[in-house]
Amino acid sequence: MSRRLRSLQGRLLALVLAMVVLVWIGAGVATWVDARHELDELLDSHLAQAAALLVVQQVRELDDDAHRAEAPSLHRYAPKVAFQIFDGGRLVLRSANAPAAPMLAGAHEQFRDGFATVRIDGAGWRVFSARGVDGDVRVLVGEQMASRTSILWAVLRSSLWPMLVSLPLLALGAAIAVHRGLAPLRRLGRALAQRRPQALEPVAADDAPAEMLPLIAALNGLFGRIDGLLAAERRFTADAAHELRTPIAAIRAQAQVALGESDAARQRHALEQTIEGCDRAARLVEQMLTLARLEAGRVAVVAAVDLAALARRIAAELAPRALAKRQTLALDAPAACVVDGDESLLAVLVRNLLDNAIRYSPVGARVDAAVGEEAGRVVFSVHDSGPGLDAAALARLGERFFRVAGNDESGSGLGWSIVRRIADAHGLRLHVERSARLGGLAVRVEFPRSERRAGNQPDAPATAKREVSSAR
Amino acid sequence: MRILLVEDDPLLGDGLRAGLRQLGFQVDWVRDGIAAERELRSDAYAATVLDLGLPMQDGMDVLAHVRAAGVTLPVLVLTARDAVPDRVRGLDAGADDYLVKPVDLHELAARLRALVRRAHQQPRECLEANDVVLDPAARSVRRAGVPVALSAKEFDLLHALMLNAGRVLSREQLEQHLYSWGREVESNAVEVHVHHLRRKLGAGLIDTVRGVGYSLSREPKPP
Repeated sequence: MSRRLRSLQGRLLALVLAMVVLVWIGAGVATWVDARHELDELLDSHLAQAAALLVVQQVRELDDDAHRAEAPSLHRYAPKVAFQIFDGGRLVLRSANAPAAPMLAGAHEQFRDGFATVRIDGAGWRVFSARGVDGDVRVLVGEQMASRTSILWAVLRSSLWPMLVSLPLLALGAAIAVHRGLAPLRRLGRALAQRRPQALEPVAADDAPAEMLPLIAALNGLFGRIDGLLAAERRFTADAAHELRTPIAAIRAQAQVALGESDAARQRHALEQTIEGCDRAARLVEQMLTLARLEAGRVAVVAAVDLAALARRIAAELAPRALAKRQTLALDAPAACVVDGDESLLAVLVRNLLDNAIRYSPVGARVDAAVGEEAGRVVFSVHDSGPGLDAAALARLGERFFRVAGNDESGSGLGWSIVRRIADAHGLRLHVERSARLGGLAVRVEFPRSERRAGNQPDAPATAKREVSSAR
Repeated sequence: MRILLVEDDPLLGDGLRAGLRQLGFQVDWVRDGIAAERELRSDAYAATVLDLGLPMQDGMDVLAHVRAAGVTLPVLVLTARDAVPDRVRGLDAGADDYLVKPVDLHELAARLRALVRRAHQQPRECLEANDVVLDPAARSVRRAGVPVALSAKEFDLLHALMLNAGRVLSREQLEQHLYSWGREVESNAVEVHVHHLRRKLGAGLIDTVRGVGYSLSREPKPP
């Protein structure tokens, strides 16, 4: 498609003019057909009348030699009309422009009265044949078809040339009309082009034509969504900056304490706390990046993941931490449970849930995790014997940077936000409640039913419990 | 000088407490808004360092409540919220100073001393009574221009008495100034320290108000 036709204005103009020309051509064809018919009727009637006149004044008294009568040419079309008069089959009279041979070939007796269209010497003739009362005299009046065609063209020319002359005028008029008609579109374009990138307020739709309202509504919707996204981004950046201030303040304070401390044990403690602060800041940054990545896009890689194997691996990673707190960490994942998802994100989810249970449960607590199938769904659950959460804290779980009060652990307040995001991205159902079995928190993650597993029978209830770590 | 530290972050709270102790403050540390309000009403502190993002009750609410209850002690807000409207709201709610994390410990200590000084209408950093001059920043005491060596507790006791010159402080009040929680208080500690101070600075400086406590007069007594 040419560049010009990609402009709406060009397209409209081309379409309008093409339609006009098409309609004109149609009208021309109709005029031509109609005019030819009428002309044929008219001229045929003239032929018939001329023939009738000649038959009436048939001239027996004409000399045999005088068979070449010079009919006067009274009109510019007249020379195109010729006649022949036969008497008893003999040509007795003909006009000067008439052919010598009978215009209706060789048929003195048998041709009938009336019209016929014949070719004589390569030219088309319209011939009318009439007979005298006694039957001996026959009159043929003919007219060259070419003359009819030229008359027809003259008629058409006179009706078509004003149209052709007006075509450029019409094009100019249509161009101006289209240009004016598209003015609101150009105004919108200018308004959008002049916008600063940060300007996301809605475009005013007051004076916009009805056809543009859906476009403007869609644009405003888009602006709204982008604005929301940017606001969330700004909020996140501000939150992140604030949240990093506290660990940085802690690092600075501890380092300053270490500098000013003369007692070796206290100095060592302050330095250890400094390192702990660095670790915490690093973890916070890592969590924020994970969350930012999750907010930016959808799950990129979807593959079959054995959740049981994944949970075993992560439980083994975290076991030393549980051991250090003399906690009992148990994982019940006897059989492979294949789910669809992004393995690295599912690992983050499992790690966060297990890490939370270990981190926020006291020394000597019990943490039970399980991976299994219930009614065709894969379920991952973590129970702990920790302090659990009250209703208010449960409701706020997953708010960014919300930390549960009253514990000495320094979490980022982002773990639950991340878990929720990952669950949303995978279509998982997340239940958090008080653990009936252990008294602390119970978290249950249900995976959606998958076609992959539809045929498989759920495994028999697991009996083997695998203690990942145990402390006595 | 006994300071109440209100900070929910364990790492930062630990660091601030250790740092302020190094710089000669007695520090009590609470981690939530409810405990903070309770402690602030107890009138045992010279000043407080208050974080705003607290569990149970926001620091701003703590501030509003204790100010409404007539608590006048200096409050230094230490927070991650640095926007100008936040600072304005904090100061309007009754904060005497506003510091944004992270903060230098020496600056924090200096600002606390300044707040306490201002609260006692002391225009200068050094306190004076008779011929005794006390410099809280350097933790030094001079008598008639000659440096006098005092123990930490003796210094704190003298500091408290000089800050409240002209008023009588009970033994319990003085103990509160001297000891943060968890530090053993000997039964006759205040008497012992007063005895030492009189020996080092002259008998006429500190008066005993029998049955009530001790007082330090601003003006030199007629001989």
